Amino acid sequence: MIEYLRYLGAEALDFLGNLGRASLMWGRALSGLPRWNDIGLLMRQIYNIGVLSLVIIILSAFSIGAVIALQFHTQLAKFGAEDAVGVGLAMVLLRELGPVVTALLFAGRAGSAITAEIGLMKSTEQLSSMEMMGVDPLRRIVAPRLWAGMLCLPLLTAIFNVVAIYGGVVVAVEWLGADPSSYWNGMQDVVELWEDLGKGMVKSVFFAVLVTWIAVYQGYDTVPTAEGIGMSTTRTVVLSSVMVLATDFLLTLSMYGDFG
Amino acid sequence: MVDEKSSDNLIEIRGLYLKRGRRVVFDGLDMSIPRGKITALMGPSGTGKTTLLKVIGGQVAPDAGEVIVNGLDVCRASRAELFELRKNIGMLFQSSALFTDMSVAENVAFPLREHTDLPDDSIRDLVLMKLNAVGLRGARDLMPNELSGGMARRVALARAIALDPLLLMYDEPFTGQDPIAMGVVQSLIKRLNHAFAATSLVVSHDIHETITIAEQIYIIADGKVIGHGPPDHLRSHDSSLIRQFVHGTPDGPVPFHYPADELNFDLLGEVSG
Repeated sequence: MIEYLRYLGAEALDFLGNLGRASLMWGRALSGLPRWNDIGLLMRQIYNIGVLSLVIIILSAFSIGAVIALQFHTQLAKFGAEDAVGVGLAMVLLRELGPVVTALLFAGRAGSAITAEIGLMKSTEQLSSMEMMGVDPLRRIVAPRLWAGMLCLPLLTAIFNVVAIYGGVVVAVEWLGADPSSYWNGMQDVVELWEDLGKGMVKSVFFAVLVTWIAVYQGYDTVPTAEGIGMSTTRTVVLSSVMVLATDFLLTLSMYGDFG
Repeated sequence: MVDEKSSDNLIEIRGLYLKRGRRVVFDGLDMSIPRGKITALMGPSGTGKTTLLKVIGGQVAPDAGEVIVNGLDVCRASRAELFELRKNIGMLFQSSALFTDMSVAENVAFPLREHTDLPDDSIRDLVLMKLNAVGLRGARDLMPNELSGGMARRVALARAIALDPLLLMYDEPFTGQDPIAMGVVQSLIKRLNHAFAATSLVVSHDIHETITIAEQIYIIADGKVIGHGPPDHLRSHDSSLIRQFVHGTPDGPVPFHYPADELNFDLLGEVSG
């Protein structure tokens, strides 16, 4: 029993220590940025983190949009409500699937790459040597990745939404023959700019901060060995995914939680 | 702003105490590194020589003691003061620590780009001069993964001297060098020290190479300084530990083996009963 309590205490202290270090890192990295001189670094990271994630985002978005349209169409056709496919797809995408799936894909594609890259820099003493040259690695290495991640994920979410809706059009309208005007008009009538699109984008901003922060911290705090970097990369993906899903629930509750 | 101290010593270490887990790395270590001279730091493996360089650079905080570098107490300095101080320190890492996403020339240009407003032409000329000094001007467009260990070390050396620092710290500069490059590095350390009136601190196991260039040697073991003075003085020192280290004999107060049970006992395993 005492052992168990000791274990719990140690774990809690460890968690708080990590949280403190991660917050310090975040605060220090983002204070004083963006500086004009660092624009080049930021652009490079936007390319690495955002542009290189486009392929997986676009492919996934198209198939998810197509699959949902197919499912909706099949089910709604039983009640003669195929016209509602567009509305249903847009609501599901804008409110939930867009931000959440993009964040999960982002954690797997860009988050893991950020952690591995920073972790390897740490294990080969590149961060240490930078520090000894009087250059703060938080500004030079961490900050551009944090900013790039926080800028790119909401943009990727927007792209995801657009492509997924197009995927739905291809399946529901082009293939299954739903009426295109009902598909688009229904969407225009029901979807609200702030309530659906805006709140979904707010979610993606939360996820962007969360996933990028976890990825960068896991790399910066890694045990500088091959095994340590492997574990940190895994932790980035697992922790980001769990946190995105849990945060999504809390955000949905607070945004749309008027269930009374 | 770092205070320029009129003291003859660039680095003053007093009562340094550092514990890592249960192991005491430094136990009241005192040391003075004079300005403008080459000081060597020697000692058996695992005595914390590299850690001491990191303490001096403010990367590792000791548990107690005072480390004054060029008038600044690095243990109590703010982050900004430390970064300011480090602009005057060049450090050659044991692993070279080159930036793998930059070419050789970009690596050497890195501190110049970060800390000066020099135009690109001047930076290019400076980089070529530094690379020429280490014999690698022709390798400027190579990437770090295309270099041998010895070449990478020389590029790192060129990068460390890019800003003509006040203090140069070398962590095992001779390891992995062929005899020609070793001679070049040796004379380079000596030349740099005298040309720029820099202070050099060399951590090395290569006794002969180090003794040739060092004007003062500190030998540390068990967390303390066990001897210091000019090379000749240490060669004829009456301490058996220092003699063992300087002459490289396996038998002496410093055991070759890491603490373990008897070999026979280990090989035969525990006898049940």
